[in-house]
Amino acid sequence: MEREESRTELGTVRVHKNVIASIASLAAAEIEGVKRVGGDLKSGIAEFIGQKHRFAIGVEISKNEEVKIEIPLVIKYGYNIPEIAGRVQENVRNSLEKMTSLSIKDINVNIKGIERG
Amino acid sequence: MRFFTVLGILFYAAVIILAGVVLIVFSLNLLQPQDIIDLLIFTQNNINSRVILGLSGLLLILISFSFAQLILGRFQREKTIAFSTSSGEVSISLSAVEDLIRRITGVLPEIKELRPDVIATKKGAIVVDLRVVLKSEANIPELTARLQEITRNKLQEVLGIDEQIIIKIHVAKIISREDKERKRKEQESNDSAIPFSGYGRA
Repeated sequence: MEREESRTELGTVRVHKNVIASIASLAAAEIEGVKRVGGDLKSGIAEFIGQKHRFAIGVEISKNEEVKIEIPLVIKYGYNIPEIAGRVQENVRNSLEKMTSLSIKDINVNIKGIERG
Repeated sequence: MRFFTVLGILFYAAVIILAGVVLIVFSLNLLQPQDIIDLLIFTQNNINSRVILGLSGLLLILISFSFAQLILGRFQREKTIAFSTSSGEVSISLSAVEDLIRRITGVLPEIKELRPDVIATKKGAIVVDLRVVLKSEANIPELTARLQEITRNKLQEVLGIDEQIIIKIHVAKIISREDKERKRKEQESNDSAIPFSGYGRA
């Protein structure tokens, strides 16, 4: 399934996967200690062609409309990784629920690297 | 996923067996070179067989590509330390842990160079192999003990893991002052050899 769909009295509202990825990316980058979203080869290529949010974050929508998100991150040196990952998960969940009212199943954080801030 | 892996392995086994059978048949003189040439000529002259051959080649490439991706993806997935939270899973790439170790040990001036290699074992332990180049003035037993201590503490603090951390240190080289002096002189002589190298400097 490519889009999350909800029906209103006037018609349907579709939220594209890329929108979910963009919200998640911005919410993750807001957290102090996150150097950048991405960090793998795929994200590097995506960043190079100007499609950073689209490819860096993986979004899966199941048939029962549950959303699963994969966020690759590079963390700044000196921060506690579980704490940062927890805060990223919380902020992404809050942002997505606030902006899209989606049911978020999993927010998986993959720490790809550590860089000096 | 498992089904495709089994299918891929069977496919490759079949291709290799076929190649083996052809070689054996050829070595037993059951297959003449002329037969192969006739077959190739027939294939080239018949448009249908050429199309089938081309499509088979394309299919082979696609199967090989997806199989390679499957294997590589699996290897990449294994190279992480993962733990679960209420919101989902957090996985830390072992290369990120290696980055972290490189930065931790930057605080020790006696270490000239350090190459970490991190492995997560199936039993849940983390094995850190450190290959170091030391400066000659370093007290090796004291320094290596300090290095192990710093690395272990920092990994536990930053990664927040309770798993056993085994730190192995291999001192690969000890650089003496003379070596350093020689390198510095070489560097200076290289710098002076560049024409206009100092031009424009404040």
